[in-house]
Amino acid sequence: MLTDRPSPVRSASEAPFYRAVGDEMEVFQAAAGGGLPVLLKGPTGCGKTRFVQAMAHELGRELITIAGHEDMTSADLVGRLLLKGGETVWVDGPLTRAVREGAICYLDEVVEARQDTIVVIHPLADHRRELALDRLGTTLPAAPGFQLVISYNPGYQSVLKNIKESTRQRFVAIELGFPPAEIEAHIVSHEAGIDAETAGTLVRLGNTIRGLDGSPLREVSSTRMLILAGALVAHGLSLRGAARSAIVHTLSDDPDVVRALGELADAVLPQT
Amino acid sequence: MTDPDPGRFRFLATSIAGRSVDVAEARAGEAAHTDGQVIFVSAGGTAARQRSETLVQSALLGAGSLDPRWIKALRARPATARRYLALEGRRVLAELTERYPLAAALSLGGQPRTATARESLDLARSRAEVPEPPGWFGVIRPSRLLAPAAGPGARATDRELRLEFDPLDIPEAEDDGDQQQSGESKILKLFENPLFASQTLMDYFRKLLGGSRGTGDGAAGAEAKVRSIRQAHQVGAHARPLSTRIRFTDDGRPGSAIGVGGAFHPEWDVHNDRYRVDWCRVIDFPLAVAADISAAGVTYDAVLRRRLSRIGLGPTILRGRPDGDEIDTGALIDLFVDVRCGHTPPEHIYLDRRKLARDLGVLILLDASGSATDADSAGLAVHDHQRRAAATLAATLEELGDRVAVYAFRSHGRHSVHLPAIKTFGQRFDALGRARLNQLQPSGYTRLGAGIRGAGEILKTEAGTPHRLLVVLSDGFPYDNGYEGRYAEADVSKALEELHADGVASLCLSIGAATTTDALERVFGSTNFAGAATLTDLSPRMDALFLASLRHLAAPLPVLA
Repeated sequence: MLTDRPSPVRSASEAPFYRAVGDEMEVFQAAAGGGLPVLLKGPTGCGKTRFVQAMAHELGRELITIAGHEDMTSADLVGRLLLKGGETVWVDGPLTRAVREGAICYLDEVVEARQDTIVVIHPLADHRRELALDRLGTTLPAAPGFQLVISYNPGYQSVLKNIKESTRQRFVAIELGFPPAEIEAHIVSHEAGIDAETAGTLVRLGNTIRGLDGSPLREVSSTRMLILAGALVAHGLSLRGAARSAIVHTLSDDPDVVRALGELADAVLPQT
Repeated sequence: MTDPDPGRFRFLATSIAGRSVDVAEARAGEAAHTDGQVIFVSAGGTAARQRSETLVQSALLGAGSLDPRWIKALRARPATARRYLALEGRRVLAELTERYPLAAALSLGGQPRTATARESLDLARSRAEVPEPPGWFGVIRPSRLLAPAAGPGARATDRELRLEFDPLDIPEAEDDGDQQQSGESKILKLFENPLFASQTLMDYFRKLLGGSRGTGDGAAGAEAKVRSIRQAHQVGAHARPLSTRIRFTDDGRPGSAIGVGGAFHPEWDVHNDRYRVDWCRVIDFPLAVAADISAAGVTYDAVLRRRLSRIGLGPTILRGRPDGDEIDTGALIDLFVDVRCGHTPPEHIYLDRRKLARDLGVLILLDASGSATDADSAGLAVHDHQRRAAATLAATLEELGDRVAVYAFRSHGRHSVHLPAIKTFGQRFDALGRARLNQLQPSGYTRLGAGIRGAGEILKTEAGTPHRLLVVLSDGFPYDNGYEGRYAEADVSKALEELHADGVASLCLSIGAATTTDALERVFGSTNFAGAATLTDLSPRMDALFLASLRHLAAPLPVLA
């Protein structure tokens, strides 16, 4: 976390694959133009991270990703003083580096971080656009290209883990969902390297599970999950085996639910 | 694949029908059919057979072939119904092959002869030759499908909905289930005297006279008999709840309600081996009576505090510790800076992971029913003991930093199970809350299953901690109108089972009760139950009790065959 060497996340040659579903790309571009912070909402595995990567590439900015965890301190974000030889040297944290260099700073799963840590981003996320470095006693104005992006999964709602209103209201929200069937089939076939027909079958299974009325599942089959199943197929596993390992058994631990899902998957997948 | 449980097809059926549908076995000898909510597959059939039956019936539901407008024409015409089924079954299966390859494997070959349900119906009524449907198509039962729609046609007016009894028509007291049971011993009543109500004496008389609770006026689980009210299995489309005024009171204090809320919970009917859906209305509301704050004393229990401080802990990271597993980089740098500057601060530079963060959420459910008014030698009723125990437990847990809520609980029949909140998870257990707890008046009965379900719901949504525990303080056996004996016992254990399935542990404490608590022990299980005369008797092993309940939850549940 204390790296001071700039490491480009992705070279310009390989553009991340992202298919827009709605107007999310336009919204993001407009927000980037105004330097406005963005809050990405969406179920797990619907492509939040991929979207940010694609947008960073599109805008030609560097992307610095920070994964939120329970024990993240503000020093992990901002930076700290280190000893070098006989004196202390300030080392920028990832957030400070993004502020200095005008990169896009992506805070993944921001609710996982402690509330007091999140407060550090407040002055960056409003009209001030500056970062207070209390150890150095200075404030650092954000470079023009700097943009803050946080992601958040509204599915894991718990009383103790939610975004504070004061944090939330500083952001432009973009809601991502699962793409429509044709686009999703295209994505699965591209990502997993399987033919369009198999991808279509997997997507049909995914949509059938998502469409269950009164489902006991906490999370539905995500695009990422379908890509995983597709990758298993691409490496020689049968479609049924892949669906069982990557979808049915992943979604639930309850033997009854697993059995019922297995029946559903069997009915939707082609008979051999 | 020889497992005969048809519940495994419910997702398949739900998915094809496009709405929530359950699958169950029909009675022996009956062909597969559906009533619109449940698909009945033939009993004892192979998995493949049941799967095909589910597929056809749910496809008929999904395609709208069983809409009342088609089905009405089939009533009392079994031959036409069979011809319609043969035609429609083929049609909907053919439509399904696109999305469900399984249907293609079952398909009978050849093009379906009809394209819409109307066409099928017309053809079925004509004299044209129609092949007999295969056996796994099952049958169409117009009477069962039409049953839900058979309610009264027009919307009732408000005037008609008002519940008014002609004074001459009011049922006799014996018929009215909400009255106290009539089997009460008159002799016992003589001795229920405040001057003389010693608990030992009362128990002695109870034993002597066999004065257990009366058997009520019907089998457990029966509805109250009220004259000239017809019972319907399904309500009509225009049915509306009665606009009854709900008075949230603590024993005769009208207008003390702040929040109005109510949720329906099911009840397990052991006699029919099924749930009674939306059977009990559980209302939780803040208890807002004015209370005298001077009565807010809570006994402090040092033993309990010490015992409880050890449990419900999650790991937390301590920085700048004198010893530990990892080095705290920040503290190390600060130390070196200080050393270079010429100071010699203590070398607290380690990270330590200790179990200190409280991660236990406890909901204390206090039985506030009127069953516990016998006093002991000190003049304290069983209810007083329980109330004090609840106050001490809640105060101790709150002081230790656990999330704790206190709800009282009583019922007056299945339509009003009350859960007055003395302290919610978000509130502090302040003097007013303590005073209210101290002045809680026991009344009503004990529909324990519904109370547990309601409390479990609150615990699940509001506790927000990884470990959740429901502590029930009760003195005796669940009893309410149409709720006793084996029925009540089965319902309570079912409610606890549901709770455990959702990751909530349960513990029952019976404090001050000298009457028999076998039933509670049987229902909660010996590890999750403890009884004593006062809370102080239990305090030394409270940690063991809490841990046993939480551990009981972690143990794998027996797999139901």
